[in-house]
Amino acid sequence: MASWRDRTSELALLVGGGLTALYFAVPDGAAKNSIYGLVGFLAVVAIVWCARDSVPWLLFAAGNLLFSVGDDVGAGFWNGSPPVPSVADAFYLAGYPLLAAGLVLLLFKSGSHRRTAALADATIVTFAFLLVQWVYLLDGILASSDSTFTIAVNAAYPLMDLILLAGLAGFFVTGAWRTPAFWLLAVSVMLLLVADEVFALGSYTSGEWIDSGWLLSYTLWAAAALHPSRRELSEPSRRRYQRLRVSPWRVGVLMVALLAPPAVLLIQHLRDAPLHVWAIASTAAVISVFVVLRLTGILRALEGIRARERAARADAEQAQRLLEAQNERLVEADRLKDEFVALISHDLRTPLTSIMGYVELSLDEPLADETRSYLEVVARSSQRLLRLVDDLLFVARLQSGRLEIMPSRLDLTEVARQAAQEARGRADAKDLELVVDTNGDVPVDADRGRIFQLFDNLISNAIKFTPDGGKVEIKVAAGDTARLEVCDTGIGFTEAQAARVFERFYRTEDAVERQVPGTGLGLFIAHAITDAHGGTISAHPRDGGGAVFRVELPLAT
Amino acid sequence: MSGVVLVADDDDDILLLVTTRLKRDGFEVVSARDGFEALALAQEHKPAVAVLDVGMPGLDGLEVLEAIRETQALAHTRVLLLTAKAQESDVRRGYDAGADAYVKKPFSPAELAERVRSLYDPGVL
Repeated sequence: MASWRDRTSELALLVGGGLTALYFAVPDGAAKNSIYGLVGFLAVVAIVWCARDSVPWLLFAAGNLLFSVGDDVGAGFWNGSPPVPSVADAFYLAGYPLLAAGLVLLLFKSGSHRRTAALADATIVTFAFLLVQWVYLLDGILASSDSTFTIAVNAAYPLMDLILLAGLAGFFVTGAWRTPAFWLLAVSVMLLLVADEVFALGSYTSGEWIDSGWLLSYTLWAAAALHPSRRELSEPSRRRYQRLRVSPWRVGVLMVALLAPPAVLLIQHLRDAPLHVWAIASTAAVISVFVVLRLTGILRALEGIRARERAARADAEQAQRLLEAQNERLVEADRLKDEFVALISHDLRTPLTSIMGYVELSLDEPLADETRSYLEVVARSSQRLLRLVDDLLFVARLQSGRLEIMPSRLDLTEVARQAAQEARGRADAKDLELVVDTNGDVPVDADRGRIFQLFDNLISNAIKFTPDGGKVEIKVAAGDTARLEVCDTGIGFTEAQAARVFERFYRTEDAVERQVPGTGLGLFIAHAITDAHGGTISAHPRDGGGAVFRVELPLAT
Repeated sequence: MSGVVLVADDDDDILLLVTTRLKRDGFEVVSARDGFEALALAQEHKPAVAVLDVGMPGLDGLEVLEAIRETQALAHTRVLLLTAKAQESDVRRGYDAGADAYVKKPFSPAELAERVRSLYDPGVL
């Protein structure tokens, strides 16, 4: 269905061409006239049928209908050469303004009337054509001895043709010529113009070869209406119309128009005919004015482009400067942060030293049991506070740069045992079973202090999150990698939470709700340490509650 | 040279804490509250061990350490640095300057006393 509709334009060309051939094949008479009438009528029907939603095309249909009626009137009353003027002229001359109005409307719909360049080009072409019309047609018509009415009718055709050409030129320079529908329309108008010009130059007899010009003009007009690209002609300001490139067609048409005055002058001179100095000079003057206008427009457009370029460059430079200033501020802020961290580090540690030291001294004294237990709380809280300060400082330093590690050969099993040993007191306090499951040496090249910190973090976490009476298991084994696992029977987490536990300051809702103390930094630090050693760390929920943390480090070679 | 232990810290509370703990262990202690006083006392008493806080105003612990190392008469003085800064680079700087031991704040007084005892060796006199 779609393919059939796409091909109606070609079908119209075929039918029109066939009928035109038939027209010349049949002898003069009613049949010949009927074929002529049929072509015009079919063209009008085709245009109305497929373009009835568009005013310009309805105007084209009306214009062609008037032509067709004129043909029929002419054929009905006069066989052979019609008198001039005749009733048919009334229909013909009424048709032209409709066609011209349709072209102008189409131009306006496509938005090209806003393009002064297009209008200037169209004017140049029109004036060149006007000069040719004047020298070779109008001057002769006006100078004839016919009645004023006859002269007016005869002069009307070249003028109407001029209007049509102006409309066509307006399209041509907008870039609409890239659509097939425009080509069909343009050839149609050109055929009409050529036939009209030939008709105006000499005596015309019905059935002559120039009839083919009008017949094919009808056909092409219908084909243009039927072509799928017809709609593009009236679509306003499409991108491809806006980005006009220099086309050889456009340059060629303008070139011909510019050469018209000297060419006419030369031809007239060679023919020894009247030179029409005034007409040629004034046309040349008008064309020159428009050429200068066009040049001015081009220069102004260039200046505009350059100004926009300068503005864009200035904007880019401004943005660059802003970026640099911003960067400087960021660097300064970073430096201030480092200073702040160092200051806090010193100022927090000094009073903590006093608190922890004096508590320890006090605990060496003979004390009442109650007082001792109070001081033990102070000691534990101080330890926690110290750990928090250490974690915060560690993270602050992590953000200032990469974690420094000083690797040496060490045995993971031994480090794990030591970390477990340090945690035993805390595990016992919660009545937790702390199991270390090892299987021989696991050698790695790593920073001993950091690895201890990592293990301590994981074990402390497991103890913290496991309710009283639970179990914490530490496994160290060597396979493809050195592997450490810390399993607990604690509150655990979901798969979704497992993906986030290594984020800075992340704490599960459960941990917050149960008021398990912590900052959400321990696992972030563990991740950073593993990362710095080229290893991986992962968290897994355990069936039946609890969590497994798995660290894998490269084995020492 | 004597069996004296020199302690220098600009924080009175910590100075008292360290001297108290060391005296309880039977050491003879002289205390200084800044670097200049520490250096003067070191030259006067020729201590067996000097416990120096790194972060002191005026002459800091590292500068006192350097001055001690440049003094022939104090060749046998062992130096223990105390610092509130936790960076590894500070620790390295301390050892490079010729420190014998390094203790980070906050510290356990019992552990500090233990470290001093291990450095204290009047036998070299």
